[in-house]
Amino acid sequence: MTQVYFEDVAEGAEIAQLKKNCSTQQLVLWAAGSGDFYQIHYDKDFAKGTGLPGLIVHGALKNAFLGQLLHDWIGERGTLRKFGCAYRGMDYPAQDILCRGVVKKKYSDGGKHFVELDVWTENPEGKKTSPGTALVTLPSKS
Amino acid sequence: MTTAESVISDEMRAAIGVEHAAGVMEIENTNCRMFARSVGHTDAIFYDEAAAKARGYRGIVAPPGFLGTPIFKPGSGAGAPGETGGRGFAVPYKRILNGGTDYEYFPDAPDGDVICAGDTITARTKIAGFEEASGSLGPMLITRRETTYTNQHGKVVAKMYGTLIQY
Amino acid sequence: MADEFEITDEMRAQFGVDGTPWTYEVTTTSVRMYARGIGSDDPIHYDVDFAKSQGFRSIVAPLGYIGTPVFLPGKNDPTFGFPRREGGPRLNIPFKGLLDGGTETEYLDVICAGDVLEETSHLADLKLRDGPRGKMLFVTNEAVYTDKATGKVVAKQKLTSIHM
Repeated sequence: MTQVYFEDVAEGAEIAQLKKNCSTQQLVLWAAGSGDFYQIHYDKDFAKGTGLPGLIVHGALKNAFLGQLLHDWIGERGTLRKFGCAYRGMDYPAQDILCRGVVKKKYSDGGKHFVELDVWTENPEGKKTSPGTALVTLPSKS
Repeated sequence: MTTAESVISDEMRAAIGVEHAAGVMEIENTNCRMFARSVGHTDAIFYDEAAAKARGYRGIVAPPGFLGTPIFKPGSGAGAPGETGGRGFAVPYKRILNGGTDYEYFPDAPDGDVICAGDTITARTKIAGFEEASGSLGPMLITRRETTYTNQHGKVVAKMYGTLIQY
Repeated sequence: MADEFEITDEMRAQFGVDGTPWTYEVTTTSVRMYARGIGSDDPIHYDVDFAKSQGFRSIVAPLGYIGTPVFLPGKNDPTFGFPRREGGPRLNIPFKGLLDGGTETEYLDVICAGDVLEETSHLADLKLRDGPRGKMLFVTNEAVYTDKATGKVVAKQKLTSIHM
């Protein structure tokens, strides 16, 4: 993993994307990982019975994907301070979920180098299904 | 446009800022790995104790968004604190949506710490406020909840901000 | 092709050869999750204080649960979680279907949360039979679990999988 530095980052620049595509198996893994066993994520008949078109991806899993996007981007010497998202649209298994982030602001304070970002997941139509924000620190070259 | 009557009762206003009973969350090797595996993390600090220690951590690191597993008691219906709780009030809306979740971490010593396997975290949830709005779903009640996570050394290691939408 | 599959001497030569040991962990959360999975509400699997009052070190692993293998990306099977260890059996099985053919467990001690076990296992037997839909391969593995802290063998397990 190459380390990104505070000086490398420009406001408005996009960070490396993370592409996900959930199998139904991954949704079951997430149920075990998170402890959320709501059936709309693994029982198609149950999901349809609640009026959904089929199985849907957990909102919290998309949130965790954004956590991975940021963790992988900040490298070993960055710290993740704040991240999260709203759940605005559904995503489905076997469809791409593109995790993206854009630098909104960078500043230094008290010897730390902060970067604020807009982050989101995007469905194949380009709709932001989980828009959110993040705050990280990056190491400085100086 | 008609102004909908407020559904925020005095009982609800009185509940703002009141902490619920604390819940205990356990962070262990097995649940950190399971969470990391289910997200698809590739960084070894979430799986391999030796790799985590080589990078200066006390143990396997809890992946972003993982704040431990609540101690499960059969019959108690215990779930993760903060996400969707607080439905105890009589609200004239039947539908419920998880509007979003934000996590804040406090990784800096000496006041904060990074959450690692072996930690026992106490989670305390309170309602931070209510809002009412009208959108495409009709009138809705938005409940903002805040959960504070304190580790076994008394350090605040994370906060979770949850938004619950009832409509 | 599955129809032409035969057990070879090369496969039989792997009987009894242990692969590299792997670590299995028993934690409070994993014990509780397994207990939920089998539908138990016995507090001995959930409540540490209760289990201690009954004379155990911590909550007791339900029968059948002998820990969770340490999962390292790329080193464990992504579906079943078991380790793809060095020196483990290499069979190259051509069948698509897979069923659990049974598990026999012999307990030599009580397993509790907090235990860290070392598991060694080997291929014990292969049998080929004709089933209603063609050939069926029965693969039997034997595993021995040793408590890393005490060096004592706590369980032995024989697992059979059916490939068809």
